[in-house]
Amino acid sequence: MSAGQAVFSGWMEIADKAEFDEACQYAEEAALAGLVSQYSGTLYRVAYSVLRNSADAEDAVQEAFLRVLRHRETLHEVRDQRVWLIRIVWNVVLDRKRRSKTRPETDDVAELARVLPAAGLSAEERAAAAQHHAHVLGCVEQLPAKERQVLLLSAFEELNSVEIAAVLGITESSVRSRLFRARNLMAGLLSHTRSLR
Amino acid sequence: MKSAAQNPFDASPESSAFEETLRLIARLPAPEGIEERVQAGLRARLNSASSKAASDSAVSSKARILHWPKAQQLESAWARTAAAAAIVFIVAGGGWCISSRIQPVQPQAAVALPRVSVPGGFSSAGAMRTPQTLNGPVIAPAMVVVPQTVSPATNPATLTGRAQLHRGKPASTGSTASAKSAAAQPTTPVAR
Repeated sequence: MSAGQAVFSGWMEIADKAEFDEACQYAEEAALAGLVSQYSGTLYRVAYSVLRNSADAEDAVQEAFLRVLRHRETLHEVRDQRVWLIRIVWNVVLDRKRRSKTRPETDDVAELARVLPAAGLSAEERAAAAQHHAHVLGCVEQLPAKERQVLLLSAFEELNSVEIAAVLGITESSVRSRLFRARNLMAGLLSHTRSLR
Repeated sequence: MKSAAQNPFDASPESSAFEETLRLIARLPAPEGIEERVQAGLRARLNSASSKAASDSAVSSKARILHWPKAQQLESAWARTAAAAAIVFIVAGGGWCISSRIQPVQPQAAVALPRVSVPGGFSSAGAMRTPQTLNGPVIAPAMVVVPQTVSPATNPATLTGRAQLHRGKPASTGSTASAKSAAAQPTTPVAR
């Protein structure tokens, strides 16, 4: 077959659309399963840092992957899938946080006492540590939203400042300046409460 | 994966107590079996979506009114080539026919129509419009004519003429001609 014949036969050939769609769907599902197994832990921790509830955080991860499922055709266009997924779950978490009512602080303390590692601590020390962590998190909640978000995300070791900026949609210098302000505000809040005691 | 940009917490010289708390939360392990649960949730959603799509397609196939004939599969490569050539020939021939029938429109030469006055209207009476940007005519100051009364008794030319006439000599001298011309000249106006 000559080149011209091959060209004509190629462009006039109609592929089996059903088989093609099935293959594409299989590839997309496989890619999605790979993302779930690779990043579900990271997304859970990001969600938990804001929601501070295991069930809510897991629901947020589920919802984030459902959003990915809806846009799975564009999955191959994403350059950094990890940052992209963190950004999705971050938006999901912020939506949930906005909608949900504020829970009492005692719930946070009980949840922290249950979740945080307390190897080698007595029951009293464990309770005191949980109280301290709850107090710190209460101060974090008092920060302005922009500073609080940067502070929470910067606690994740696997995220550098460029990636935090990508998640929040701001510049790297903004990340640094907001983190600086957040630290100062936190120091002020903690010293204020210490002096009150 | 760590790039050149470090985590901003790492850049800080001191690690505060609140940062330790945030670090602890950020390092929390994910609960057991979260991957399987997420996978199961996605699978359930996919199955429900596919069943819904199947039911939608069944409904749409029942509701279809027009049944378009499927394209005939051309087996031979030569037949495909011939069909492609025929399509190209028809399209090109049709285009050539259309373009050959359409004659290009000749551009008309500009015709200057004579100026015909509107019947019943006013004519310009030959007046020319002058642009207002030009300076208007400068009128010189009015000149006053002072009449110079010359009495015939004091006029020397008249006197000489009379004298000459009285003497009866021929007027051949230049003085007599100049005197005549001087007498013929009107009184010169004196500008003030």
